[in-house]
Amino acid sequence: MANQSINSHPVRDLVTVVLGVGLLLILAFPFIWVVLISFRPESEIFTRTFQLITTFTLDNYAMLLEGSPFPTYLRNSLVVCTVATIVAVVISMVTAYGFSRNRRFRGRQTLLIMVIATQLFPFVILITPLYATFFSLGMINNPLALVISYIAVNLPFCIYMLLGYLDTIPRDLDDAARIDGATTLQIIFRVILPVAWPGIVTVAVYAFVSAWDEFLFALTLMTSDENKTVPVGLAGFFGEYTTQWNLVMAASVVSTLPTLIIFMFLQRKLVSDLSAGAVKT
Amino acid sequence: MSVLPTSAPAEEPAHVWGKKLEPYLLVLPAMLILAFFFAGPAIYNIALAFQELSLFDLGREGRWVGFDNFAEVLTDPSTGQSLINTTVWLTVVTVVLRLVLGLGLALLLNATVFSRWKLGWLVRSLILVPWVTPPVVAVAAWKWLLDARYGVVNQFLVGIGAIEQGIPFLARTSTVWGAIETMLIWRELPFVVITILAALQSIPSELREAARIDGANEFQIQTRIVLPLLKPVLAVITLLTTIWTFNNFVYVWLATRGGPGDYTQVLATQMYTTSFVDYRMGAGAAVGVVMSLIMFAFALIYFFVIFREK
Repeated sequence: MANQSINSHPVRDLVTVVLGVGLLLILAFPFIWVVLISFRPESEIFTRTFQLITTFTLDNYAMLLEGSPFPTYLRNSLVVCTVATIVAVVISMVTAYGFSRNRRFRGRQTLLIMVIATQLFPFVILITPLYATFFSLGMINNPLALVISYIAVNLPFCIYMLLGYLDTIPRDLDDAARIDGATTLQIIFRVILPVAWPGIVTVAVYAFVSAWDEFLFALTLMTSDENKTVPVGLAGFFGEYTTQWNLVMAASVVSTLPTLIIFMFLQRKLVSDLSAGAVKT
Repeated sequence: MSVLPTSAPAEEPAHVWGKKLEPYLLVLPAMLILAFFFAGPAIYNIALAFQELSLFDLGREGRWVGFDNFAEVLTDPSTGQSLINTTVWLTVVTVVLRLVLGLGLALLLNATVFSRWKLGWLVRSLILVPWVTPPVVAVAAWKWLLDARYGVVNQFLVGIGAIEQGIPFLARTSTVWGAIETMLIWRELPFVVITILAALQSIPSELREAARIDGANEFQIQTRIVLPLLKPVLAVITLLTTIWTFNNFVYVWLATRGGPGDYTQVLATQMYTTSFVDYRMGAGAAVGVVMSLIMFAFALIYFFVIFREK
């Protein structure tokens, strides 16, 4: 290509790559460092000088999983995030279908603008009234309160993202199924869902990861130790007064694993979908 | 919409009504959830802001106190401090730095050499690292990196002779904002880089080629052709990150709890502290109302920008 002959200067290419990869390694370093530290014996975590390689041990992980409440946090997070994700995806699928296949019902435009506007809602101000509401419902320390919160917080983005995706699926599919006598819900879950899975994967990952990372609702609504989720539990390890750094490091790695694994497998797709989805509004 | 003939309502088959109702039924569950979760609490929050209600008295009616909570919040000198902290140190500084660093890094990584040498996977994997890190982990990692004795940053600075002994970055007023901003920017930069990269890759290479043939140098191409094309994306990123950051609670709370003293208190942490540490739900709700009014102004700008572009 002409592009190639004009653009390739071996020296400039090398400088660009070294600079780019170097900067990215600096950017990735803090987490890589956490991973390295998490495999060190406690005595070698606290060194006064920089040491890249030290003794390798799994002690911190053993202590985290056997001698700390972290497994409970992990279970709570997995349950809450999984349930919230599934429900959010199902509801947003039905809603997005409603908006996608009915272009001109009264109020459509207003409702859509409201959905988009909700994405900009300052969630943080909800925490005082929501605490009061869940308190009067007797739902403080009830994981269901957190599940409901995560569904609601994620719905707007999921609906908006899926709407864009469903709009690209031809309506002939619906029409054919309808002639065969399928109901609308059957069409959504038996006909559209199998075709729409790439969009659903993106939305599900978004919902799961943002629930997994969430801190403020979990901090406020789940106050007893046996109900805490991973972020709040982990934050408890570096409290105001004492910090168990060896536990913090191992817990940090374990808390990052789910997102890391998801993104490793789906990086190319997720990176383009999520960045495009966020800015598309 | 077409109006059905009123002369023959009896002939109107049942499924026509079903068809007209169907879109409403489909979107109803989601709209109800959003109404109960956003509209309801938002209205309740406004009502709470006019009451005095202790966290321990929840379930009972609060005492109506008119504008007392607002008067208290707005005359409290620490509110002015949190307002400046929130807008300037938390939001403006980090949004501007994210845009500048993000733009620079995206332009660098957009160089054709990365795809020619098949390094796209490496770039994507590395840039994702901070993005997949939960914010709590980001704070934990940086607290450790910035530790006065055992942190790598201080060990490095002492090692090269820049300082004589480690600095407790998060405990000193001169360094604490820089430390919090570093944590936030580190975690949130990849979103900006990736979004700008996506926009850059949608610019047809013919445009650059044409400019080059017309005798434009690399700098002119970037500033006169690429940058103007990025403007819509940059505008949206700016407003989104501004809104997200303005409301952010987790970085300041976990890094300093608003300290030392009240030095890094932001509106979100002030609201949380008032409601859940001082147990004064009414006053906390008033802080929330002040925050949402400021956010409302931001949202108006956002929609203005979006609709002007469309």
